[in-house]
Amino acid sequence: MLATDMYQFRNYLRETGIIFCYSGYMTEDILVGIGSAIKKKLTMDEEDRQTAKAVFSVFVEQVQNVIRYSAEKETKDDMTELRYGVLTVGREDNKVFVTCGNMIKNPDRDRLKEHLVAIQKMDKKELKQAWKDTLRGETPVGSKGAGVGFIDIARRARQGFDFDFSEVDDAFSFFTLKAYI
Amino acid sequence: MDNIKIAATERSPELDFNFETNTFSLKGESYPEDVTDFFGNALKSLESHLEGLDGATIKFTFELIYFNSSSAKILMSLFDMLEETAEEGNTINIEWIYEADDDNMEELGEEFGEDLESANFKMKAIEG
Repeated sequence: MLATDMYQFRNYLRETGIIFCYSGYMTEDILVGIGSAIKKKLTMDEEDRQTAKAVFSVFVEQVQNVIRYSAEKETKDDMTELRYGVLTVGREDNKVFVTCGNMIKNPDRDRLKEHLVAIQKMDKKELKQAWKDTLRGETPVGSKGAGVGFIDIARRARQGFDFDFSEVDDAFSFFTLKAYI
Repeated sequence: MDNIKIAATERSPELDFNFETNTFSLKGESYPEDVTDFFGNALKSLESHLEGLDGATIKFTFELIYFNSSSAKILMSLFDMLEETAEEGNTINIEWIYEADDDNMEELGEEFGEDLESANFKMKAIEG
């Protein structure tokens, strides 16, 4: 039973094109570890260097978003915290995808949606300008990085990205972004 | 000011700031856990050094393989800082080195370089 369940799970992943799957607390060590395995796998597949670098880049931004912002977290008195998210990397119709999902607080949903819809409408030139303006601007309130992660993902995801929200309860929704390279 | 030299790691670049010779470089990968932790002190030292210069010649070399968006913010402030120093009458020579087959790193170099008016900017492709 044990092996059958796990094998079925593995087959489900394989059928949906998933090569890497991680669900759990994300840390910077996990980012470096999985990142290095992704690079190795893409090199073995003789994926062209531009694609491999773009995949890695989108992966880093996605995982750092979870580490910094996932609303599903454990915090200790000494301020250490762990944040939960789900990551998959795989292939679909000759494209590589990097998908990441995590909980967000419902009040943040509209703002995030608005931001992502605006980014999706931008062409290459507008994305560059938004990227520069954001890098030069003050770091947005509540941001722990440059606040430019999604714009960066849009610039690297040559085949675009999809996103979605699934309401979990009154307080939380599950947010997912799938970027295609 | 004491020179600053930090060796590269898997996720942070080699940082070499020589305040005596006015040669500075960043080389390698840049996606540190906390960019402020990594770059903070070096950038503060650089900023106060640059403010005190008059008629100096500076060379800043970027040879990056990959950087994340938080590092991009640091790079942007570095470029703006160097441009400002050039506007104040110093000669600033910036070199952006990228691997010849890395179109993205070439494009990013062009994007940082196109905003410079007073600082000199040169792109250089090397074999990866």
